[in-house]
Amino acid sequence: MTPSWILDILAAVMLLVAAVSAGRLLVSRPWAGSAGDADIDVAHLLMGIAMAGMLVASLSTLPNDVWDVIFAVLTGWFGWRVYRESRGEGARVLADGCHMPHLVHSAAMLYMFVAIGAPAAAGGGMGAMGGGGSAMQTLEAPVVAFIFALWLIGYVVLDLDRLTGPGHARGSYFAPPAVVPAHAALVGATAGSGAVGLAAASAAPAGSGGSVATAPAGATGPGQPAAGGDGTGAGSGVPADSARTILLGPKVAAGCRIAMGVTMAFMLIIMI
Amino acid sequence: MSDIAVVGGQAAHQGGRTRMAEGTWQHPDTRRVLQLALAAIWLLDAVLQYQSFMFTTGFSQMLAGTADGNPGAIASPITWDARLVGHHLILINTVFATIQLLLGLGIAWRPTLRVALAASIAWSLGVWWFGEGLGGVLNGAASPLNGAPGAVIIYALLAVLLWPSDQHAATAPFTAARAVGAPVARALWLVLWASLAYFALTPANRAPQALHDMVAGMADGEPGWLAALDNHAASLLAHQGLAASIVLAAALAVIAVGVYLPPRGLRAILVLAIVVAALIWVFGQAFGGILAGGATDPNSGLLLILLALAYWPTRTAAGAPAVAAPAAAAQPAAGQDGGVA
Repeated sequence: MTPSWILDILAAVMLLVAAVSAGRLLVSRPWAGSAGDADIDVAHLLMGIAMAGMLVASLSTLPNDVWDVIFAVLTGWFGWRVYRESRGEGARVLADGCHMPHLVHSAAMLYMFVAIGAPAAAGGGMGAMGGGGSAMQTLEAPVVAFIFALWLIGYVVLDLDRLTGPGHARGSYFAPPAVVPAHAALVGATAGSGAVGLAAASAAPAGSGGSVATAPAGATGPGQPAAGGDGTGAGSGVPADSARTILLGPKVAAGCRIAMGVTMAFMLIIMI
Repeated sequence: MSDIAVVGGQAAHQGGRTRMAEGTWQHPDTRRVLQLALAAIWLLDAVLQYQSFMFTTGFSQMLAGTADGNPGAIASPITWDARLVGHHLILINTVFATIQLLLGLGIAWRPTLRVALAASIAWSLGVWWFGEGLGGVLNGAASPLNGAPGAVIIYALLAVLLWPSDQHAATAPFTAARAVGAPVARALWLVLWASLAYFALTPANRAPQALHDMVAGMADGEPGWLAALDNHAASLLAHQGLAASIVLAAALAVIAVGVYLPPRGLRAILVLAIVVAALIWVFGQAFGGILAGGATDPNSGLLLILLALAYWPTRTAAGAPAVAAPAAAAQPAAGQDGGVA
């Protein structure tokens, strides 16, 4: 049996991912109509909670049937997003699209909940992977688990490479532009048009960091709210703004996805 | 949602539709892709190492078993190591798994690429001895089908060949030659595949039922479809050990010397190498036994495929550099450490 403390650590990491995702949602305030890709943070939030419950029985929250429905909806939603992306970009979105990894993550979660052995399905949650279980649960169709694990690992290494490779300033891959902080574009542009901010961003060297990658042009324009949608923009308190910039930055989004990808691959493999 | 312009002005997010940036993020070149594939395999190894089986005495027994038949100088440290692992199973296996996790993440993370590759070489050599008993090379158990000369030594070989140096880039006919030069890269390929050809013909492997037993043995614990494939393949090899070994050895020998062919011939040889490696991986190794649980790595078949891709010619038949080469060489500083140049 995999030691329970390893599962505990991973569950803690997943809860951290869920908390960070919740924080991103709170800061970006999608209900104010300013963010367009809150779905990714919602997905991370739900996956974090679900995986923590799978790893540690005592953290189980919802019945498996409910999770089945949730991840079926998420899979369908991201499938739709990928389809919409592909209408503009073609088949390349399958390898390069910013929503494709979330589709795979959602589908992998759906697979895990559907393919888990019958005893767990009868309970309130998977749980048995954790220390409270008497036996390791296995997944049906293990080859699917293997393929998902390879796929997820592939995204992990690609994400790491994108974070540090040439042109890694393209934060939109990790956090689509709507949730990338406007603060970054405001560097060197205290007011005025978005073009000024973009010029500053464009002038940044490739290795200067992902946080200056993208920014809503409109956010820097007169009367436009910043990424957070709260209208505070660059004029708000610096510490709060910095925290928001970090939280909404692509590196945080990427970190969440990498942690989730590794953990999900781990879960898939140990349940083969 | 506001319209969004992205660095370079080549991506936009309009009306809720995300458009991908073009020109900002650059696709990695062939060597970087192969490095990432190596990183992914290390990550897979790490995840496999965290499996339940590895935290049982079965793991230490598996290590101890690799000492069998090896010379005393090789076997004694293996036995000592297996005993140590057995005494501190949870701790040591967790360390093992975490090291492999860090190797995978380190290779994928460009700033730590060189350190991780160097560490992977050292780790691979250690595992080759203490974890694989030198791949059975010295005890007569080595076979191309069971992962000879040790899957983990191919990790080290790949790390050397994919080292982010371009000392010989100007004349490198394939990716594997960029760091060490074509003569050395070809020699390494020749030694590896020729050794596989040799192992295919050893007495233990050319016995009438040797290959049959090896393939049939892989079916245990596998999913039904894979077990059926293995059983069918095994039935084809029944009492054909000598003939099958000769055919396999001939194919491996052709692959070994084929690395010296000009690009067109080399491509054909590499296709043959990939096909042979894939057949070995599926039928001889059952994907490393991963689907049966208890595997520590995907075995050698997958790595041989990766290795073959590293030798794919990057120049035209006329000797002119491939189109991708100058474009890759022009990549900015961020990629230098990763060997993207």
